[in-house]
Parts: sequence; C-alpha cells; structure tokens
Amino acid sequence: MITVEIQYYALLREQAGKSTERIETMAKTALELYREVQQRHGFSLAPDQLQVAINSDFSHWDVALENGQRIVFIPPVAGG
Amino acid sequence: MKTVNALFSYHRWLAGDMKHFEFSDAVLDTGALHASVEHHAAGGYASFEGWVRDHNDGRSVRRLEYEAYVDLAIKEGERIVAEAITRFGVRHARCVHRVGSLELGELAVWVGVSSAHRAEAFAACRYIIDEVKHRVPIWKKEHYTNGDSGWVNCERCAQASDHTHSHEHVDHHPPHEPHAHPAGLQVPDYSRQTILASVGPEGQRKIRASRVLVVGAGGLGTPVLSLLAGAGVGTLGVVDDDTLDPSNLHRQTMYSLADCGRPKALLAAERIRALNPEVDVRPYVERAAATNLVALSAGYDVLVDCSDNFSTRFAVNDTAVQLQKTAVVASVYQYEGQIQVIRPNGACLRCLWPKATSDGTVGNCAEVGVLGPVPSVLGSLQALEVLKLILGLPSPATHSLILVDLLSLEVRRLGTKQATECVGNTCQRIPQQPFISDTEPLELLARPLQLYVDEGYTLIDLRDDKERAADPLHVEHQCILAATLSAKPQQLNSNSRYLLLCSRGQRSLATTKAVRAAGISSAWSMQGGLSRAKKA
Repeated sequence: MITVEIQYYALLREQAGKSTERIETMAKTALELYREVQQRHGFSLAPDQLQVAINSDFSHWDVALENGQRIVFIPPVAGG
Repeated sequence: MKTVNALFSYHRWLAGDMKHFEFSDAVLDTGALHASVEHHAAGGYASFEGWVRDHNDGRSVRRLEYEAYVDLAIKEGERIVAEAITRFGVRHARCVHRVGSLELGELAVWVGVSSAHRAEAFAACRYIIDEVKHRVPIWKKEHYTNGDSGWVNCERCAQASDHTHSHEHVDHHPPHEPHAHPAGLQVPDYSRQTILASVGPEGQRKIRASRVLVVGAGGLGTPVLSLLAGAGVGTLGVVDDDTLDPSNLHRQTMYSLADCGRPKALLAAERIRALNPEVDVRPYVERAAATNLVALSAGYDVLVDCSDNFSTRFAVNDTAVQLQKTAVVASVYQYEGQIQVIRPNGACLRCLWPKATSDGTVGNCAEVGVLGPVPSVLGSLQALEVLKLILGLPSPATHSLILVDLLSLEVRRLGTKQATECVGNTCQRIPQQPFISDTEPLELLARPLQLYVDEGYTLIDLRDDKERAADPLHVEHQCILAATLSAKPQQLNSNSRYLLLCSRGQRSLATTKAVRAAGISSAWSMQGGLSRAKKA
C-alpha cells in the first residue's frame, strides 16, 4: 500500500469534482491507478486519450509507482 | 436580352478587357452588371447596392457628388476584388462605383459575386464593400437641403488612416473637415518597452521586422493580436472564418455588440489598424486547415494557434513542424489552460498526443463554458512567449507543457520529450491526408440536381427500392442504401465530391455525419432532400 497525491485537470477535474486528492492504493503502475480512480469517479476518457505525469515529468503508463509521488492526469483541451 | 448581355459580358471578360473594379460617370445598369458575373458553375449570386440617402449625421441631404483619386483607387479596388476571389474561392466578383453628381435614391456603388455556394458569395460581397469603403480613396460632397455643402471622406478612411493615402494625396483633393482625423498626428510610442534592457532600440527593430500569423481571432486570439499590435510587430496575419456572435463578447472584448454578424478577421484588422497604423495587418477570412495553412504561413516566422478545436490545432502544429517554424499553441477549459511552444526539432503536439485527438471528446468554450479572463490570461501568455522568441529571451515554455489552473492560481511545468518518430519535417506521425475540418457545412442548398452534376458532384441516392421506383431520378447518380453507406463509408473516395440524397434530407444528413466521421470530408447532404429540390 502506498500513498500518492493525484492532480486532475479539465474534464477529469470536472468529473471528479475536485482538483486534487490523496489516496492510499494497491496500484502498482499509473495505468492501474487510473483504472482505480476511473471506476470511482466515472471518468469518460480512456487512458490513451490522456497524458500522465509523475512529479514534474511526463511518464509512461507502466512505470512503477512509489510512495509519496504526485501523479498528474492531463486530458487535452480544445477551447480558445 | 439578358442572355445576349451575359454572353457579351462573358466574352469581354474572357478577352481580358472586363475590369474587376471600375468607376462610372453614367447611371449603373444592374441587369447588365448582374449578367456580367453569371456563370454556369455558380450556384448563387450575392449583391450589395449602396444608394444615395436623404440624410447624414443629422443633416438633410439633397444630392451628392463623388470624386475619386482614380489611378490609385482603381489599383486598390482591383486588389480588393482579387483578394476576395482568392480568399473566398468565388467564381466572379466585380465592383463598380459611381463618380460625378448623383440624385437621392441613385445607385452609388454596386458589388456582385457569383460562386458555387452561398456562404462564400455573402462573405466575399461583404468583404469587398467593407474594404472598398475602408481603403479606396473616394470622397463625397454632400449638398444639404439648406443650401450648404461639405466634403466627407469615405466611411472609415477618416478614422483609420493618419499617414496613408489620404495624406499623401492631400493636394489632389478637396480639404477634409477638420474633425475627420480624430487621431490627429499621434504616432506610436514604444518607450515603455524600449527602456527595458532586454528590448532597447535593437529589440524594437526585431519586433518591427517580425511577421506573426495568428490562427483564430477569438478569446485567445484577441489579446494576442492587441498586445502584439501594441508592441509594434511589423506584420500580423489574422485567420478566422467565423463571424462575431453576442455570446463571444464576455471574453472577446476587442469587439463591440454592434459588430455582431461581421467576420472577426476583418473586425480584428480594423481594431489593429486603429490601435497601431504601423502594423501591416492581413486578414484572411477563411478556415485554417491542413489544406491552406502551408500557403498561408509562407510569409510568417511564428505561428500562434488560438483556435478552438483540435483539427485546426493539429493542422497548425503539423504546418509548423513541416516548415520548421515556431508555433505557440494554447487552449483553455473553463478555469484552466495549457500552453506549449513548439520549436523546430523539439517536441510537438503529436509527441504529446500521439493519438490525434478528435473534436467532441472534451468540450470547447461553447460546450462547457469558460470564464472570460481565462482565455485572456492564456492569450496574454502566448503574446509574451512570442515577444520572448523575437527578443531571444529564455523561455521555460519551450520543451514543456505549462498547465495553468486559474482557480488555485497554480502553474505547473511538465517537461516534454520528443518522440523518436517525430523529428522535424520528417515526422512520421503527421498524416498524409489533410486533417478534416469539423465545421465545413454538412448541408448544401436544395436546387435542381443537374446543377450539382454539372459542378462535378457525384450524386448518391440513399433511398430504398420502393421509394426509388415511386420517384426515380433522371440525372446521373449512384444508389447506395443509407444504412449500407453509414456502415461502410470507406467505399467513398476522398478525392471526389459527393452529394447525398434522400426524400426529406434527414437520412442524408445522418449519413453525411457518418461519412465525415470516417475521415471523408468531401460529402454533403442536400438540405430538405429531394422533395425540396423539386420546389427549387
């Protein structure tokens, strides 16, 4: 079990109803973590429509998560 | 009689002695003018007529005299009409302006445009009259009912130009009224930026020499344009095919309520000219897409993407990568935004979003809402990044995606890496097919089918056997059931143009959407279907 801080942007923030949350998770990778929160918040976007960043860098979905990391899920936005 | 006129005019046109813009000292014959722009490939015609009215500025007018600086005026007028033909892709366009003495109700100026579709005809017609009023040196002398008279400059020359044609030729013209130049002899003053050590006279010269193309004149585009014009950017291009809507104004405060319905590119150009006459501003009333962006970008150093949809944004990205130019890309969502600077051989949008994002997956401003200052903040950041690029100042937005959350006021910078397939103009991820415009109208007007056949459309009858037997088509066409085509749109070829037909225009509209979604952009539905075409 690790604790991570998650940040949501745009549509994800709207669907989660919050921009950050700190959760305890069994997820081993960013993809597993996204699946977990997707279930919980009913996110409509699939992982391949998103980018994930760990701390301050974009990351791959299969990178192993570590305790205390900040995970950022970013959808593209279109408005102008 | 009309046919004879049309043929005569058309042959004159072919022979090259028909002018796009001319002056006439005789009463205009609208029948002959109309005939001169007729063309078999044109599905529509739009015209504007300007008449002598009985009042101006609260004074009662009896008659008018028009005078023009003819040599310059014809050159500028020809240029305007040629611009309209190129920009809107219309068949024919022509403008004739009266000179001499005119009575009340007389036709003073005539514009006529013929084109395949109505939208281009209206837009080109409006463009021509607006630009003629703005750019062509024509003066009118108003004779008032009380016996007085006075010279008045053409509509906008008086407001906009303080150093251009009207002054250069002042000796040739009747004097302007003193209040005709409210801006007086004011000249731009860049001192508040040139006192910065990083700008100075050398930096100002760089700004003056720079050429920036702004794609989209909306929430992001208006602050970009105002700030770059204010800074003295030498050449500013504005691409936008949209017209102003009252719902735009809470965030696009460069415009006015009275401007609604007019093309934003032209409105923005007017505002920029008023803000800084030193800027060479070039409006393009067209939709930026993969098909025209390469040509549009040719004379510019930096592209600024201020569009409101993914297809345009990716098209700007692809053009920048292919032409090895820099693009400053931003987008907004409700209370937040993203900004990225794409440099030659750096990470681009396709490195970040390899699966090109389709419109409709996440909302735009019209769908999900936006607080007005949000695009203003992001647009101001884009203008800042452009100035930093021009001045050679360091920028952390290069090789990064900057996320700006304006609710929490947090800014996050995430490092982007270039994908191995994405190296400059050999990027493997840029599609060979042009990206599809998502706002190309889905429907064309109902009119006799033979006209569409003559214009090169392939007609597809989507009705079932029974309907076809009851009401057969008598022009060349193909038969594919609506359900079959929706299931397999790939059987159409993106190099052809298709007009889909059903009895009332409902199935053809739904099928057109399915075909467009499959990446074939050259299919349209006939509005109202065959039943309406019969009445046309």
